[in-house]
Amino acid sequence: MKLSTALRGKKLGGVVTVLIVIMLLPFGFSAARFGLARGAEMPDVFLEMPPPEQFNRCVEDTDYMRFRHMDLLKRIREEFIRDGNRGNVSLTKCRDCHTSRERFCTRCHEAASVVLDCFGCHYYPEPDSESQQLGS
Amino acid sequence: MQVEFSKIEGRSAAFYVAAAALAALGIAGTYSTYLLSVHGLYLSGMTNRVPWGLQISMAIFYIGLSAGSLVVSGLYGIFGKLEYKPFARIAAYLAMLFLIAGLLSILTDQGRVDRVFVKPFTYLNVTSMFSINPSLYSGHVLICIIYLWALFREKGTLTKIASFTVCLWAIGTHTGTGAIFAFVPRELYNSALLPPSFVAAALSSGAALMILVKVAVFRGTGRPMDEKLVIWLGRPLLAVFLVCTLYVLLIENAHRFYLAESREAGMFFLFGGFHSVLFWFGLIIFGCIIPAILLFLRRTGTSVPWVVFASALVVVGVLFERFLIVIPGLIHPPELFPGWEVTGTVLWEGVVDYSISFYEVLQALGVLGIIGFAFLMGLKFLPLAPTEARALAA
Amino acid sequence: MDRREFLKKGGAVLAGTSGALGLPLLTSCGVNTASEDSPLAGRKWGMVIDLSKCQSDCTACLDACRHENNVAFHNDKRWDIHWIRKVNIRNQESEDIEKSVLLLCNHCENPPCAQVCPVQATYKREDGIVVVDHHRCIGCRYCMIACPYNARFFNYKENEEWPNTDFPKRSHGVAESCNFCAHLVDQGRRPACVEACEAIDIRALHFGDLNDPESEVSEIVASAPVKRIRDDWGTEPKVYYLGL
Repeated sequence: MKLSTALRGKKLGGVVTVLIVIMLLPFGFSAARFGLARGAEMPDVFLEMPPPEQFNRCVEDTDYMRFRHMDLLKRIREEFIRDGNRGNVSLTKCRDCHTSRERFCTRCHEAASVVLDCFGCHYYPEPDSESQQLGS
Repeated sequence: MQVEFSKIEGRSAAFYVAAAALAALGIAGTYSTYLLSVHGLYLSGMTNRVPWGLQISMAIFYIGLSAGSLVVSGLYGIFGKLEYKPFARIAAYLAMLFLIAGLLSILTDQGRVDRVFVKPFTYLNVTSMFSINPSLYSGHVLICIIYLWALFREKGTLTKIASFTVCLWAIGTHTGTGAIFAFVPRELYNSALLPPSFVAAALSSGAALMILVKVAVFRGTGRPMDEKLVIWLGRPLLAVFLVCTLYVLLIENAHRFYLAESREAGMFFLFGGFHSVLFWFGLIIFGCIIPAILLFLRRTGTSVPWVVFASALVVVGVLFERFLIVIPGLIHPPELFPGWEVTGTVLWEGVVDYSISFYEVLQALGVLGIIGFAFLMGLKFLPLAPTEARALAA
Repeated sequence: MDRREFLKKGGAVLAGTSGALGLPLLTSCGVNTASEDSPLAGRKWGMVIDLSKCQSDCTACLDACRHENNVAFHNDKRWDIHWIRKVNIRNQESEDIEKSVLLLCNHCENPPCAQVCPVQATYKREDGIVVVDHHRCIGCRYCMIACPYNARFFNYKENEEWPNTDFPKRSHGVAESCNFCAHLVDQGRRPACVEACEAIDIRALHFGDLNDPESEVSEIVASAPVKRIRDDWGTEPKVYYLGL
């Protein structure tokens, strides 16, 4: 083929390669930080159950909460804020049973590589400390 | 008359240096935006009294520039002036780039950049100009792409339709951008003449920038261009736009100055601070009157260097005008207690000042770098530039 | 391409584009309508501030508000947020007349801030309180531009302190303003400033339901010479002043 066509192909190939590398960067960072093969390795979440007289029932079953807690939280949030429906479920009440943020939120979220936006604003310290590190 | 378009060589040292510099600016600007989004907007010069600053001013400046570019492109597209066909593709491409620059400038100025890609599209608010405008801008970009495609494929009818549509849509977009400020109850914003003055200044700055770009591209690539084409863009096109701009600005300020209720605000705008210097010298004298005189006088208006000089003055003048739309309205306090003056306070009451921070400048340069780079790449990889531009015989 | 093909393709492109651009209109319908049996319906919260009782060197309401709502304070006039603030004003004709005025969000009936919020993060609740949904706010600051009273603020800097851990604070990047302590009002209490002023027995701030003719605020508004700040602007503020 002509030299110019071959060179143009090389240039285009170069541009495409660079673009693909840029698009794969987030996955690269994630792999570097957490390693590969995270899918099946959900860590165990150890629930500290409160004393039987305090304990009512879990909000939803484990599978639902594990995979769809954001749906629940968003619905509650919309009703709470926009409709003023303060209801029974409140974010602070989660803390009554799940006292450790590290075991309840951080572990799973780090494993799943999902950024937590909540705790820059919402208070959820570890049970032994008053202050809270911002972010996850 | 046959016009041929071809890609530029793009191998000169100047080209590579320019491309590298623009790309570097783009990366630096992106990094600055990242810093601002992580640490907070306090790194910019904006404050609780002046919540909008350089980025928004540049955004509306870019949006305005796209209007004039489209008008120049429409000279061929709508009116079929064949001698302007050589300019049409670059004008349309630049118009699209400027719109993207405007969107980028607004995007990088948000407090929560991570949310701005989803929320404005899922939670529209039809009473908000900030909500309507992204739809207008993105539609505008789409039509620009269709228009460019029609130009590249030399589709005559589609070119006419697309050009007409895009110019109409541009009026809508620019009115909408002016309405962001005009439809708000702040003394120096709330003016029905603000959208028309925005459109007039947009046309002036766009036409002026087109002149500068054309001359730069043709001189830079060494392709022949008939001077008469550029001169016509200056005299009468740009000259007429300047007269319109001056007219609307005059009426707007005279009205504000005349009525007793707005006189204090009008006086503040015209004589009350550093912005007044920018207004009188930067915008009125050097941005409108002197370029208009230069263009109207036969001796200077028919010589390309003078036309280029006048265009540069206009572009800078309109940049000042964009600042003057945004900032004075914010540094001037609202009159909450007529007949009383505020003596002591915890907040910044009264007139405040606004100074641009280094990070904001970096952000603005970053946007400039990105679209500059895109323009250079467009010139190199797309047949945007004509091989020559000749005026029609007789 | 002949005319028919052009029309077909052009029509398809136009339909696709309009659909794409119109989709947000569809998805945003019905997202924010509160249900009729919402606990907020029917009320219209308002406030009366009695300037003759307010003492210029007292900061009880200011401190209570800042503590209750975790309002950011950086000791820098550029970024400090004041949901409620005091300004001293002097009469321009008789220069010895001075007053101390409390300024806060007026919770207008026609709020320009809610009108211009591009994502409807700022909106007026059924009970008249203008609230910001900080989960949705993108930080564009248009509401601050639109408010003619300069009553809205932006979190330019991360707030390091958290005085009231029972209530969330805002991280940087969102706009906010006084929300009449909606979380307290919903529990049947009154805003922190009102309660603080009552606690020190000055009682310059009154809060109540303007729709209820027997409430304190309704009676004051109906009988006493109350004034609102620049009600010629048409925003219909719900904060009334006695002695302004």
